[in-house]
This record gives sequence, structure tokens and C-alpha cells, in this order.
Amino acid sequence: MRFSFFLSEAFGSMRRNWVMAMAAVITVFISTAILGAVLVTRDNLNQGATSLKNRVMIEVFIKDAATPAQTQALERKIQGLPDVKSYKYISKEEALRRFRERFGERIVANLPINPLPASYEIQVKNADRVDAVAQQFFSDPSVDNDPGTHNGVKYAKETVRKMLGTISLIEKGMWVTTGIFAAAAVLLISTTVRLSIFARRREVEIMRLVGATNWFIRWPFVLEGFITGLVGAVLAAAFVWVGNWGIANWIQSSQIDFLSLRVFRMWWQGGTWPLGLMPTLAILGALLGAVGSLVALRRYLKT
Amino acid sequence: MIVFEDVIKVYDPDVVGLQDFTCHIGKGEFVFMVGPSGSGKSTLIKLVLKELVPDSGRILVAGRNLGTLRKSRVPLLRRNIGCVFQDFKLLPNKTVHDNVAYALEVVGEPRRSIRRKVPEILSLVGLAEKTDSYPHEISGGEQQRVSVARAFVNHPPLLLADEPTGNIDPETAVGIMQLLVRINRTGTTVVVATHDRDMVNRMRRRVLQLEAGRLVRDERRGSYDQVTEEVGDAL
Repeated sequence: MRFSFFLSEAFGSMRRNWVMAMAAVITVFISTAILGAVLVTRDNLNQGATSLKNRVMIEVFIKDAATPAQTQALERKIQGLPDVKSYKYISKEEALRRFRERFGERIVANLPINPLPASYEIQVKNADRVDAVAQQFFSDPSVDNDPGTHNGVKYAKETVRKMLGTISLIEKGMWVTTGIFAAAAVLLISTTVRLSIFARRREVEIMRLVGATNWFIRWPFVLEGFITGLVGAVLAAAFVWVGNWGIANWIQSSQIDFLSLRVFRMWWQGGTWPLGLMPTLAILGALLGAVGSLVALRRYLKT
Repeated sequence: MIVFEDVIKVYDPDVVGLQDFTCHIGKGEFVFMVGPSGSGKSTLIKLVLKELVPDSGRILVAGRNLGTLRKSRVPLLRRNIGCVFQDFKLLPNKTVHDNVAYALEVVGEPRRSIRRKVPEILSLVGLAEKTDSYPHEISGGEQQRVSVARAFVNHPPLLLADEPTGNIDPETAVGIMQLLVRINRTGTTVVVATHDRDMVNRMRRRVLQLEAGRLVRDERRGSYDQVTEEVGDAL
């Protein structure tokens, strides 16, 4: 089998049926661009969610009366919890310094003693485990709880719950959207390919009559689908990348910096998108085109 | 070359294609198949190409039993059979040269030999001047000659022609028939399904007459119509 022959057949047919080829390219472009936009948005949301989750913190206040031994016991307890990512000891002095920074020298100057307790700031590995970790300190003797309560342990319980709920809802929604658009892309592309092959069914019939094997007939069509898909998908990847880059820049230059968007790299990278935007979409598009051709050809190659 | 034994082919609602059809066509023969439309001529050609499969009976082509021929070998069978059709069946977006070359590409012929064989066969059929024309730019007779060239460029042992002169004027038709005769002289078995009464009568070759899917006449040096001995001699 001669690859150059198949390639020239594929290009020749695209030149002759350029309207159909354009239609296929545009179809692939639109479907993969939408798919890419959904994927990039999902990734950005994930990124935002992760950074929000990482900010969830538990503060454990220590009784002024606690002995150094009790404090150490508390620290060992924190160290022993598997869900703890990191922790930090905030001494009374440090707490006062922060207070002063925040509210000004004047208020602090009037204080006869330092009323602020020392504390541990604990970050958990997984925001879902905040509750469980916090509960460990509810009845600890060295924690500054008022009798009958556990107000010596502070964390944004409600906020965390709502945030986690919202994030998981958004994640589910994005998966559903991704699925719908991926299915739509496959349908659209296979319809386009089927149309263009239907227009050439006589050609296929003649090829079979002169004794062409099925794969000899398939190769040019598959290559054609592959090239069409590749071109459409590369255009789509570029489009999505430029769009994302533009929005990211715009957000950065404005003051809403908590919304920071990720600027994806076009090529291979080690981030959450192991393949990078361009290769992922390009391979996807090319495969869609090639597989679409194969499927569409099936009914003309029976016998 | 072709053996049909008790072949039955029935299309869906009891439309008979071939009925208890038995015949032998030897190597190197030139055979006309005559009979009205729907008498089974095209069915027979499709069966030989294994485009259709018989309901019962045995078909041998070049010693191969088509009943046991695997699907994947069908293209190989077809490469050994040249085909010429009433509607030419040329690829519309390939030049005369490329249409003929395609039959060689299919069998994996080296490029060098393609460059040699295609001009050779095109000058044989008298189309050396039209190499770079597209099918729609040449006449019906010329298109049919391209189709004959494509059918013969591989030098197949068998050539089937289904109404090869059906769409062209009588004078051009003679040229096509002469081409088929020349091909036959090289040892290729030629089977021609036709309605062309004059042609059959003039050439006096073996005639198979079909009617409603049955073989009703098999005559050496026959004519188009069944004639009695005396009248035949008088002609």
C-alpha cells in the first residue's frame, strides 16, 4: 500500500469537494471550540474551588491557664491527626501584633494586659473533613472553651458547607455539559461525514468493482476525515486559548483578582491538563474525523 | 472459466433472477448473452462478480468456488475479472489516465510499470490523445473505450461486458466490439450481454439465450434469434 497515493487521493478529493470539506472543518471547529470552552471553564472553576478550599482554616484557642505541658500535648494531638495539612502556633504576642496591625495602635495602647489568647491555626488537607477535625478539640482541656460550649474552636462551618455544596453542584453541572457537547460534536461530525460520503457512493461502488480492498477504499476517506478534524480542532484550540487568555488578562488588569483565571499553555504541560489545550483538542478532533469517516463508510463497504 | 451448476437466484418477492441455470463457458471463448430485459443477464454477471450470492447451486470462476470464497478474497476475484458496463462507470473526477491507472494502483502495481502500461493500453484503444481529459469532456464511445482499457489493463483472464454498446451509436459500437474481439484473441475469455441484434448476427459466436431466468438456447456460432436450420442456412 502506498501512503503517498492515499494522501494525494485525500487532498485531491478535498480540493474537488472543497465546499463539503469546509463544512466539515467548520463543524469540527464549532463543536470542539464549544467542548474546549466547557473544559477550560471547568478547569478554571476547579482551580478557583481548590484555592477557596485551601483557605478553610480552623482556629483552636488555648486557655491562658494551660501549662506548657498541656500546650505540647495539644500540639502532639494536632500532629497526630491524619487530615491536618499544616498548622501554625500563634503566640499571645503574635496575636496582639496582628490585632494592632488590623485595628490600629490606639486601641491596643489602652489595654492594661494582653487579652488575646494564643492559638493554633490548622489547615486541613480536605475541606470536607473540616468538621471532623474541629470536633477533636471540642472537649480538649487546654482549649479555651466556655463551659458547656466549644467556642474555643472557630471555623467557618456554614460557609464551608455552602461552598462545598455549590462547588460540587457546579462540578456535576460541568460534567453534564461536557457530556452533552461531546455527544453533540460526535453526532454533528458523523452527519457531515455521512453526507459527503453519500455524495460519493458511486465512486465507492466503482472502486469495489475494479477490485479495491475495503481498506484501500477506506484509507483516503479516513485520512481526509483526519485532516479535516485536525484543521478544525487546531483552529478551535487557538480560538479557545486566545479567548481564555484575553479574559484572564482583562480580569488581572481589573480589581477582581480573587477570580484569577489560569492562562493555559498551548503545548504540553504538567498541569491539570496533562496534554495541554492544543494537543488534547487536536487529537480529539482528528480522531473524531477519522472515526466519523470509518463509521459513515461502513454501509457502503458491506459484502 | 465459468461454471454454473443448478444455480437459483430469487429476489425478494418471488422475482426470479436465475432458475436452475447450468452452463459452462470455457477458457478463451467469446460468448454473447441475449434475452429481453429482466431475463437474468445482469444477475448472471453480478453472480460471477460475487456482488450477489445464489440461493442454491454452485458457481466456479477460474476454478474457484465462489460459495466457499471468503469475503476478504472477493477483491482478489474481481481483479481477475475486467468489467465493462453500459453506463461506463468511470470515476468522474479523475482523468482518463488516472481512471485506468486506478485499476493498477488497486493491485499495488509499482509506479514505474503504471507509467508504462497506461499509455500503452490507451493507445491500443485509440485514446492516446485524450489522456488528460475528464470523462465528461469526451464522447460516449470514447468513455466506453476508457472503460475497456481499465478492464483490460491488468490482462485479466475474464472480461465481462454488460450492454457495452447500449449507450453508443452503431458505428462506434462496432469499434468497441472489435476491441473486445482483439482482447479475446489474447486468450481472455469474453462474455458480452447485449441487445444488439445486428452485432450478434454478424459475428456468429456462441450465443446463450436467456428467458425468465432460464437458459433456453445455447448455440455455437449462433444468431440473435432462434432460427430454424433452413432459414439459418438461407441467411
